[in-house]
Amino acid sequence: MRRQLRNLFYRATLGDHAYRFLFEPGPMDEVVVLDCETTGLNPRIDEVIAVAAVMIRSSRIMTSEAYTAIIKPDRVLTPTSIKVHRLRARDVAEGRPMHEVLPELLRFIGGRPIVGYYVDFDVRMLDRYVLRYIEAKLPNRRIEVSEIYYALKYGGAPPGTVLDLRFQSILADLGIPNFGQHDAFNDALMTAMMYVQLRDMRQRGVRIGRERAVQQEAPIGA
Amino acid sequence: MQGFDITNPPFDRLSYQESAELRAGLDIGYYAPEEVIIPQGSPSDWLHVVIKGSVEVRDRSTVTTVLGPKDSFDSRALVHGAAGEDFVAAEETLCYLVPRRNVLALIHRNAAFAAFFYADVSRKLDAFAQQRKAEGMDSVLRARVGDVRYRAAVFVEGGISIEQTGHCMRDHDINALFVRDRQRVGVVTGMNLSKAVVLRRLPIETPVREVCHFDVISVDVEDFVFEGLLLMTKHNKRRLAITSNDQYMGFLEDIDILGLFAGNSQLIPGRIDRARSIDDLAAAARDIEAQVERLHRQGVKIDVIAEMTSDLNRRLLARVFEMTAPPTIQEAGCLLLMGSEGRGEQTVRTDQDNALLLDKDVPALDLIRFRDGFSEALAGLGFPPCPGNIMVRNPVWSQSLDSFIRQLKSWVLRGDAEAMMNIAIFLDAVAVTNPIDILIRAKRAMFELMWGEAALLARFASLIDTFATPNLGVLGTIMASVGAGPDEIDLKRAGTFPIVHGVRTLAIDKAILETSTASRIEALVKAGALEPSFGRELIGALHVFMEFRLRSQLYALHKGELESEALLRLDGISTVERDILRDALRVVRQFRDLIRSRYNPGGF
Repeated sequence: MRRQLRNLFYRATLGDHAYRFLFEPGPMDEVVVLDCETTGLNPRIDEVIAVAAVMIRSSRIMTSEAYTAIIKPDRVLTPTSIKVHRLRARDVAEGRPMHEVLPELLRFIGGRPIVGYYVDFDVRMLDRYVLRYIEAKLPNRRIEVSEIYYALKYGGAPPGTVLDLRFQSILADLGIPNFGQHDAFNDALMTAMMYVQLRDMRQRGVRIGRERAVQQEAPIGA
Repeated sequence: MQGFDITNPPFDRLSYQESAELRAGLDIGYYAPEEVIIPQGSPSDWLHVVIKGSVEVRDRSTVTTVLGPKDSFDSRALVHGAAGEDFVAAEETLCYLVPRRNVLALIHRNAAFAAFFYADVSRKLDAFAQQRKAEGMDSVLRARVGDVRYRAAVFVEGGISIEQTGHCMRDHDINALFVRDRQRVGVVTGMNLSKAVVLRRLPIETPVREVCHFDVISVDVEDFVFEGLLLMTKHNKRRLAITSNDQYMGFLEDIDILGLFAGNSQLIPGRIDRARSIDDLAAAARDIEAQVERLHRQGVKIDVIAEMTSDLNRRLLARVFEMTAPPTIQEAGCLLLMGSEGRGEQTVRTDQDNALLLDKDVPALDLIRFRDGFSEALAGLGFPPCPGNIMVRNPVWSQSLDSFIRQLKSWVLRGDAEAMMNIAIFLDAVAVTNPIDILIRAKRAMFELMWGEAALLARFASLIDTFATPNLGVLGTIMASVGAGPDEIDLKRAGTFPIVHGVRTLAIDKAILETSTASRIEALVKAGALEPSFGRELIGALHVFMEFRLRSQLYALHKGELESEALLRLDGISTVERDILRDALRVVRQFRDLIRSRYNPGGF
């Protein structure tokens, strides 16, 4: 309700009307999985340095049409962030400025729902730039994979149950191979895999056993 | 898409550029449990490569295989327009989707990759055997000239006559000589001599220096064999002089290089013929055994290995017979090899099935002495005794033609499984010593006994279901997919036996005298009893099983666990090989159906 009101407001006051498509609903059976790599975890000061978006059309993950970009940050990279995403100053120097990337990314996403793992963080990171350039926040519906996972696994669990919503744990629980984390594309890809499987399980009313062994990694070559 | 494993066959055949294109075109599909990914008979727009989960391959209601991560499907649906089976997700499954047009483009550009998509099992197997062949060739060409078994140099003086030179060649059993003529050294070959006399009509008194040539092309004993081969090609010669420290050592001939490659199998018959004792033969027997592995490593095709090996084994056994049989038995008896040896399909020795047919009575004592002596000699050569006691030692399998035909009759009347198995084994018999015609008489007698006996044939055919387990290896596959245990397949029960016995049934029905399964199939095709295309598939499938069987036999030999020689561990083979095996098993299933519908053995 609050978001609808907010979206109405932004739609009315949209700075750049070329972006009206963000407010139009996307094709029925399509969602976009989004992942950002950032210089840190504080949306107010940290910056986005890589972004990947993968579309899911019904039950197909359209990796062949994925959108990826490396972004040149305004500030110098700190050693701590380099350790996480392995993008060094030299790599991001080849990146493009955000004001070039953002319109392409927004066009790619369109009005489709945005799927992610802790998707609020990624959207908040983007919103900083979106606000700066088009004077609105992203209006898209958000789908949180850890929330679906929580519902299928811990919904109705007795109080005191230890929750484990780590990315690694969800992957292992669903038997999805780890393609290597902290690369925007791989993270988006693995999130997409989680999403299609969780969505199907929810539809079929299948629960994830809480006693299920977590070490079930499928073998996959790098 | 970095996650896609391009080292996984058949994608390992792609160049860097090609694999980059392949990765760029990939999508990923998700399939819920019980979702049909490709229905039987339908085309497919994608080649699926399993990322996680498992896919059941179903033929009507039977699950024939379960595919897991890295397996791809279905080349038939993709290239030939119709899937052979249903492909159904067994659990939550993710697959890479390689678009059809990308696969087709790669097939056109890359022949090695294309081989994976052949419809024909045997062609596919050949294409994938090729790689090992290249390795074998490589090691041969990197050998040194000195490693080749060349003949030592023989020198003659330039002044001797053509006639004397010819005698010298014969005496040394050699076809080329070095000719010393003052400071020069030349080479003369048998062909030079013949041409001089026949074509140029030179008198045979002509000095040899007139007909030899002095532009000797030589290769050093330390040079690589491939350098020798290059020289031969460059100078169009089949023979090079070998030098060491500027001394002529001998000749390197193209046939020697061939020998190095094929493992000098041409020398084994000579060794068998020259053997004076069972101990001498034991050395030859070891050579035969060692050769199987070497040929296999060099990528020689399984049917060729089997043919060479059984030819040598037959010579070996004929020689053992000559050494151990008293003259009376040698004169009256015909030694038979039966079972896989008779069909010429045994590579690694697993057992001995042999028999003796006599066309007249021999002294009882001679026969008793021979029965024990022959079997003992074979044991000494490393032939394991037959567990079913189908050996000359057993009086049932060493008797006169007349009594043996009575024996056949009683088997036919008994008609139980053991009797049928004995008939089957006898049907595969080949004679390795004269008089061969008594074997043919015995077989004709048997064909007459069986002729038109539909019920009997049905009982004979029913042996095909002896090991019938309709969902071969599937339970195992499911167990493996949940990590409960290794997945194994018994190649003999699942593959070789149904083909061999089904073909045997058809052969007895059509009175076909051939013994090898492949030539029986050819004869059946000629007689119109089998479709030519299905005949080819059947031979291809048989070779697939023989190839895999040899591999697991060699593995079992090295590990010293012979009881597991027919077991193939599915996790030890590549995804392409699993795919080939799957095709071969499909052929077996089709063939079982054909035998069942033709002879209705289920009625018993």
